[in-house]
Amino acid sequence: MSQHGSGWTSRRAFLTATGAGTLGAVAGCLGGEGPEEFVVTQGELAGNADPNDHNATPAYNVFDPVYEPLFDLTPDGEIQERIVTDWEHVDDGEIELTLRDDVVFHNGDEMTASDVAYTIDRQVDEEVGIPSPQADGMTGITGAEAEDETTVLVEHEVNPELAETGLGVFARVVDEEWVEEREQPIADEMNGTGPYQLVEFQAEEHAVYEVFDDYWGEEPPFDQLRFQAISTDSTRVADLETEASDVVTNVPPADVHDISEAEGLDIRTVVSFRNIFLVMPNDDEPFDSQAFRQAMNYAVDNEAIISDINDGFGEPMSQPVPEDHFGHNPDLEPYPYDPDEAESLIEESGYEGEALTLTCPDGRYLNDTDIAEYAASQIDELDTVSCEAEIVPFEDLVEMVLDGDPTTAPDFFLIGWGNPTYDSNYGLEPWFVEGQASYNFLEEDLEEPVLDQRIEEAILESQTVEDEDEREQLLQDINEEIHEAAAWVFLHNEESVYGVRSDLEWEPRGDERINPGEMEL
Amino acid sequence: MSLAKFLLRRTLQGLLVIWGVVTVTFGIRVVAPGDPVAVILGPGASETLQEQVREDLGLNEPLYVQYVDYLQGLVVGDLGYSYQSRREVEIMVVERVPATLELALAATVVAIVIAIPLGVVSATRRNEPADYGATTFSLVGISTPNFWLGIMLILLFAVQWGIFPSSGRSVGLGEAVVSLVTTGHANDLLAWARHIVLPAITLGTFFTALITRLTRSGMVDELGKPYVTAAEAKGLPGVLIRYKHVLKNTMIPIVTVLGLQLGTLIGGAVITEEVFNWPGLGSRLISSIRSDDWPLTQGILIFIAVSFVLINIVVDTIYAALNPQVTAE
Repeated sequence: MSQHGSGWTSRRAFLTATGAGTLGAVAGCLGGEGPEEFVVTQGELAGNADPNDHNATPAYNVFDPVYEPLFDLTPDGEIQERIVTDWEHVDDGEIELTLRDDVVFHNGDEMTASDVAYTIDRQVDEEVGIPSPQADGMTGITGAEAEDETTVLVEHEVNPELAETGLGVFARVVDEEWVEEREQPIADEMNGTGPYQLVEFQAEEHAVYEVFDDYWGEEPPFDQLRFQAISTDSTRVADLETEASDVVTNVPPADVHDISEAEGLDIRTVVSFRNIFLVMPNDDEPFDSQAFRQAMNYAVDNEAIISDINDGFGEPMSQPVPEDHFGHNPDLEPYPYDPDEAESLIEESGYEGEALTLTCPDGRYLNDTDIAEYAASQIDELDTVSCEAEIVPFEDLVEMVLDGDPTTAPDFFLIGWGNPTYDSNYGLEPWFVEGQASYNFLEEDLEEPVLDQRIEEAILESQTVEDEDEREQLLQDINEEIHEAAAWVFLHNEESVYGVRSDLEWEPRGDERINPGEMEL
Repeated sequence: MSLAKFLLRRTLQGLLVIWGVVTVTFGIRVVAPGDPVAVILGPGASETLQEQVREDLGLNEPLYVQYVDYLQGLVVGDLGYSYQSRREVEIMVVERVPATLELALAATVVAIVIAIPLGVVSATRRNEPADYGATTFSLVGISTPNFWLGIMLILLFAVQWGIFPSSGRSVGLGEAVVSLVTTGHANDLLAWARHIVLPAITLGTFFTALITRLTRSGMVDELGKPYVTAAEAKGLPGVLIRYKHVLKNTMIPIVTVLGLQLGTLIGGAVITEEVFNWPGLGSRLISSIRSDDWPLTQGILIFIAVSFVLINIVVDTIYAALNPQVTAE
């Protein structure tokens, strides 16, 4: 277990004596400190303590020890009972949830069906509490109501499995009375039903927890737990190397070898649910041309990006969703690197001489700026177009992209999309259905019937198809159509790289969730 | 000019600087891309709700009204609410001040402890190896970017030798002292000390190099003056001449620079805090910029400006009190 913030290390202490003797003596006088706790260090945390005011995996990791999900979600994306012990499709558009009757909040309040219904309403209805960014993930769920103390009726307008997935991934129970007593969103307090209760929360800095004695489930593995944020990669890695952290996220590829070789440390990797791609909003020239968009796919060597920039971490992509996601089309191959074909398609499009700017966030994804600069340079090497990369803060890009208006987005930008539902719908709907936050595909005159409308209608239709085989086929067809349409430059599926202490029994998950309950020392 | 008039003039100048900083940061906020409502509500909020928040924040008002409202708020210490956390900005600023102040003061201590003896040795042993060593150190110290130095110190003293922690602050100094007084145990104080060593060296290195140079050149000037020759002729010991008489006269400009640099250190701690994950104003400033949290960015910048101005006024006052020529000018 880490000595919080101490960095005092018996393993490394004085291994290299040269020059360290005097300072070692000084440091020895200064001593060690702090109780033992298990420390997880991420690049970022959460801006406030409200579990419904975020939609990013690092924030969910901070909330999950306290705010318990309704369902357990297996690494394969299957939902299993947790607070909900049974669920049933009772009618068209209705799911009945049966809840445990022994769940209590950390302030001592008993959890009721009313709390669960309030939680769901708070996510999907902006009039309840706050407008929650999680609403997009709760596809088609319109509200919920308590039928009795342990039964909740959820109303939805989509395939029941899709609605269940939304509930399984996004719903975390809050205490209605406790929340309503506070200013919205909740700034720095937490009150959930999970195995840990909050001891201290500093926004964007750290969250410290201790075991909640009245938790209904299994006792968690660590007495004290800390999630903290260190945004500087080298400092985060050093925190692991000095044993101040037990798990760190997003280890840069350049540090992987050193950590692998270090005594007592280990690297764990897993192919992530996060897909990296270049978006070409096609409301304007030159991206209104399918040939031009395809040319961009042929111009960028995504295999080289994976091998040269990400040191082999990543899988090339051919479509909007990764493998193992429901609706992924296994027959599609990534666009090959073929600059000649790219030149030919650009000539066909009639957009020779275009000067492109590829906008990229700074530091949000693994080697994002290097990837953007590499892709831009490959496009720039073509004789018929020029391209340069422009680096902007992630929040600025998000603001331009996620307003549901393609006309305000940059002309050409790099972004990543994590799909925690493992269903193609959450990889497609936000980007291809008008009215959704990141809608950026509105091609108007390519062919008959109009491509963007056809894709949009197919996505909406897939949400209501009850037969799973039929739905899977429909989603595969949509993914194929988007591949052909070259809506994006499909790059790669990220690989999550964690640095951990080697005696930690833990397999990282593709959905980037870090659940201490799945760990053991 | 009397001291009172001198002070009044300095205060008015300080207020002008603060007003300038407030106006410039307000102006940047206005022209910067991005909509505060989008930052607060995130994507997908309804038009009605967006309009309501815009109304609540006064963003529908003309710019001059927003500006006057902001100035009025400043006068009573109301810096608004953070877009991200929805907490009062003044609280978010004040809670980070101790960490930054601790770091700035520790860096100053590092500078004083190292630079002054080094400067004295360098001046009294001119053109000897000690002098070459000291001048080389000061040159390297002034030329070294502190983000690089910080990472190197982490690699050596935290990762390689495991002597100091690589990041974080453990507890605050105040808390550690209270713990020492109430429990008699120094654990918290020692933990605090261990955490601040590397950041303080990183932040203080440039400052150390600067003071070393100042001390050396001041000492060299003073050592050539007739009173030193007279003292030597009287047979006073060299150590006494150097440390009691010469150094004392050299210290006046050094003390002035120390005071002024403290303000610079508070503002300049941004990178050091980021590298060491030190929870001070600098790291909060960076995160506020990253998240387009303009009220918080403005609040921190204004606090730094006010601190800088106040420190300057205090230093000027002390200097004026010590040296009446200043007010006479």
